[in-house]
Amino acid sequence: MTPVAWRWLVALLIVLLLLPLVIPAFFVLLLIEIAILALFATAFNLLMGFGGMVSFGHAAYFALGAYTAALLVKKAGVAMLLALAAAPLVAAAGALFFGVFIVRLTATYFAMLSLACGQIVFTIIFKWTSLTGGDNGLLNVWPPPLLKAPAAYYYFTLAVVGLSILALHAIVQSPFGYALKAVRENPRRARFIGVNVRRHQLIAFVLSGFFSGLAGGLFAFFNGSVFPDFAYFNKSFEPLVVVLLGGMQSFFGPLAGALGFKVLETFIARQWPIYWPLFLGIVVIAVVVLLPRGFVGLLEARTWRIGPARRK
Amino acid sequence: MRLGPRTARSRRAWLSILLSLLLVIALGADPAAAQKPIRIGEINSYSGLATVFTFPYKEGIEMALKEINDSGGVLGRPLEFVFRDDKLRPDEAVKAARELVIQEKVDFLAGCITSAVGLAISAFAKENKVLYFATHCQTSRLTWDDGHKYVAHTTNNVTQYVRVMARRAAQLPYKKWAHISPDYEYGHNMWEEFSTYLKQVKPDVLYVQQNWPKLGETDHSSYITALLQSGADAFFSALWGAQEINFVKQARPFGLFDKLHFFAPAVGNPDELDPLGKEAPIGAITSGFAWYDEGLHKLHPKLPEWSKRYTEFSKGKEPKLGASWGYASAYIIAEAIKRAKSTDTDKVIAVLSEGFEMEFPWGKVIMRGCDQQAIPPQWVGTVKVNAQGRPIMTDVLEVHGKDVVKSCDEVMKLRAAATEKQKK
Amino acid sequence: MEFLAGLFPWITNGPLILVQVMSGLSVGMFLFLVSVGMSLIFGVTRIVNLAHGSFYMVGAYLMVTLIEGLPEHPLRFWGALLLAPLGVAVLGGLIEVALLRRIYGRDPLMQLIVTFGLILIIGTLVLIVWGPDNKSVPRPEALAGSVRILGQPFPSYYLLVLGLAPLVAVCLWLIFYRTRWGMLIRAATVDREMLGALGVDVSRLYTEVFMFASWLAGLGGALAAPTVAVALGMDGDVLITAFVVVVIGGLGSFAGSFISALLVGELQSFGILIIPAISIVLLFALMAVVLVVRPWGLLGRPEE
Repeated sequence: MTPVAWRWLVALLIVLLLLPLVIPAFFVLLLIEIAILALFATAFNLLMGFGGMVSFGHAAYFALGAYTAALLVKKAGVAMLLALAAAPLVAAAGALFFGVFIVRLTATYFAMLSLACGQIVFTIIFKWTSLTGGDNGLLNVWPPPLLKAPAAYYYFTLAVVGLSILALHAIVQSPFGYALKAVRENPRRARFIGVNVRRHQLIAFVLSGFFSGLAGGLFAFFNGSVFPDFAYFNKSFEPLVVVLLGGMQSFFGPLAGALGFKVLETFIARQWPIYWPLFLGIVVIAVVVLLPRGFVGLLEARTWRIGPARRK
Repeated sequence: MRLGPRTARSRRAWLSILLSLLLVIALGADPAAAQKPIRIGEINSYSGLATVFTFPYKEGIEMALKEINDSGGVLGRPLEFVFRDDKLRPDEAVKAARELVIQEKVDFLAGCITSAVGLAISAFAKENKVLYFATHCQTSRLTWDDGHKYVAHTTNNVTQYVRVMARRAAQLPYKKWAHISPDYEYGHNMWEEFSTYLKQVKPDVLYVQQNWPKLGETDHSSYITALLQSGADAFFSALWGAQEINFVKQARPFGLFDKLHFFAPAVGNPDELDPLGKEAPIGAITSGFAWYDEGLHKLHPKLPEWSKRYTEFSKGKEPKLGASWGYASAYIIAEAIKRAKSTDTDKVIAVLSEGFEMEFPWGKVIMRGCDQQAIPPQWVGTVKVNAQGRPIMTDVLEVHGKDVVKSCDEVMKLRAAATEKQKK
Repeated sequence: MEFLAGLFPWITNGPLILVQVMSGLSVGMFLFLVSVGMSLIFGVTRIVNLAHGSFYMVGAYLMVTLIEGLPEHPLRFWGALLLAPLGVAVLGGLIEVALLRRIYGRDPLMQLIVTFGLILIIGTLVLIVWGPDNKSVPRPEALAGSVRILGQPFPSYYLLVLGLAPLVAVCLWLIFYRTRWGMLIRAATVDREMLGALGVDVSRLYTEVFMFASWLAGLGGALAAPTVAVALGMDGDVLITAFVVVVIGGLGSFAGSFISALLVGELQSFGILIIPAISIVLLFALMAVVLVVRPWGLLGRPEE
């Protein structure tokens, strides 16, 4: 990144670090949520924007991460940090297991098989009541006293999410990342030049699942509880909407989308819960029709930030 | 990334992110709400399928609030409910609870319709030492297995609800029973409580078949066929709402209700009977709020007048069970605060743990001290069509929850058992 | 051994098996009606219309309003059945002209998200217009009861579905393979640019196809109304089921949708009895199995 961009990044970081001192606790909590959602969405976008693969069942990996963290802490008495470290690993394992089957498919079929796998994960969580608590979920999954205060958990989340996004950025900028983009643009050509398409797609799927699981783990401790509907397909649509709102061609699109979505949701859904879906539907359609590059497009005019737009 | 025009663009990018954050701060820095009213943060499902229940429930609350505030409020202060929607998701409910406590600084929390939400808010309440009044959800775990001093329940729980039906079932000569219940915690809870209690009261019953359709199933034909084959005399249904309507509509032409006697606590509610209309299961034994019943009017002379007031208040709607629950919840909360002469959490908990009784237009509600669980009266009746061709509950019998509820000793045993399990 | 107990009566009871097979067929026929519209839209415009379930729901709700509004008359049901899908077709047409036209040629993902936005909008509008209460449409007098099949009662109304759906399937076949319009549609699924180059008003064709598919969805909803509760949330249930049926059959293949619908219908009928524990995920498990074995559905073609 350019020196100028670095300076802005540092400025932003300083602002983020100082915020909890000036804003009410509720907004600190909101920022934590936004950060977690931004991580989930960026991980999702690794697959969608950069890999060209849309998954309708990604919530499964979020949920696997959340439940791993919760179960380890509650049933095995594991320390929170260790449990949080295990969360993305289990999620990645799940992504590997399902991914092997899913990446063999394309486009809509890919999406639908990922949906089916997501629902299978949901069903397992829902029905295995003795382990997961069934639809009552697992409650009292709190972080240790040191991290319980909103500001404390905020800094923790900022650190984890910040590092993860840096990691994802590095992945995207790496040779692997470029090969992945090549696969997205034209799989046949990529295959001709020697890129193992399936392997790249699977690796992207697993990496995406890894970071989704991490987001899930962070969310488990933030929320203090985990529920089976973390794996339900409704939740899978969240990162999709966020990425599309924010702009999927940009690396930071999901971040902007997460911020915008959560701000809208918090202020509109609270006042008019009945009309929130209507409002969201209108916003979503308006963004697609009027803002082809999403929220980030408001800032970037005509830019080919990371890669060319997906065109029919 | 290359230098040049991108610098300006990335600058804009960061600037906008910064501005958005500032916007968040600015919007958040609105002045704290006036401290004068007593505020109850209510979390419920005001979107999607639950609205058929929560809309009337909310009207019940609002009607009660108007009455309470018109007669001077609570401790001289107006009583106010701040409503939040949990979108039927427990994690949203916890978020809303947090927001209500931290941002809105409400005095107490209230609400829930799904059991998972109730339990989740209860756990939050316990952790943060905030008093929570569970209202529309019914799992017995709230105040029993997972009960604690920071949670109270203002309506009846599954055990009371279903035992009243089981008692009625025991009076009838049906020996072989089947059931159809939705496959989630509530459904399992309902069947377990019903079957255990029925067996206690009528030891010669036999359970011949279990059916667990998924929650929200739309096609029940295979379950209907199974029930027809079961050889049972009667069957119990823990289905509710749209799913039960689906089931009844589909089962009727198969002649299921001619072959087996139908016990369905939820079907007596107008949200099911009215849409069913001519297709209502005549002769089914059910439970519900039969506000229109003449027999009930004799027992509770204030009921018709309350019903009229509700209809006026809601601009023409008839009372529903949910409305009575909302109404009662608001009054119970107000009463607890009044008796404590304070909004201090510990003082109100002290009042609740002593227990008290309240009279409502439909009977006496006991707030029991040992578990902070409300025990209201309940009604069992039979579905029949009235003179206007409308299906209603008739032959209504009143059973007070106190005759079927688990004793304080049993409750304490349940709590101890649950704590033991958690330790393992 | 619960499922064995469930299994035994089946093995010995022939008529009951037949009734269950016919129930499964009715469900399947019904699913076909509901999903063929989605397949049609995809085949021609390459858009996955997520709002299909919403059209179905509007069809059912319109049925409720028409039945309540029209005067009592033996033909009332049939009149409503005729009008409700037309209302949905009009809605579909409006949406296509006002909105979808602007996004043809865009990223398919964007098109998908627009139809997703429609779900949210239509769903809320239905709540606002019809309110939160559950509604129901009574079966028409003539079909309210049951007939006896080998001594077992079978709802007469399902006979309507069993009769109507294949009729619709045949009509669709006739339309696609024996009319000019149908030929244009088939041409559009293969190469719409060429079609445009040949002077066909492809834009109008798209609108007509969308309206026709919406009509089919509305018909599905109107037909379903007497057998289910007309309530919020029906759009989501149907969408998922229709989508799964279409994917299993193969996107864009009508024969595929037909076979898949029957398969799903029968599986739902019997699967629940044999393996009750997984009823929640039965549909998805089936789809997963099919997709692993046949990556483009049963009869689908690889995407270009």
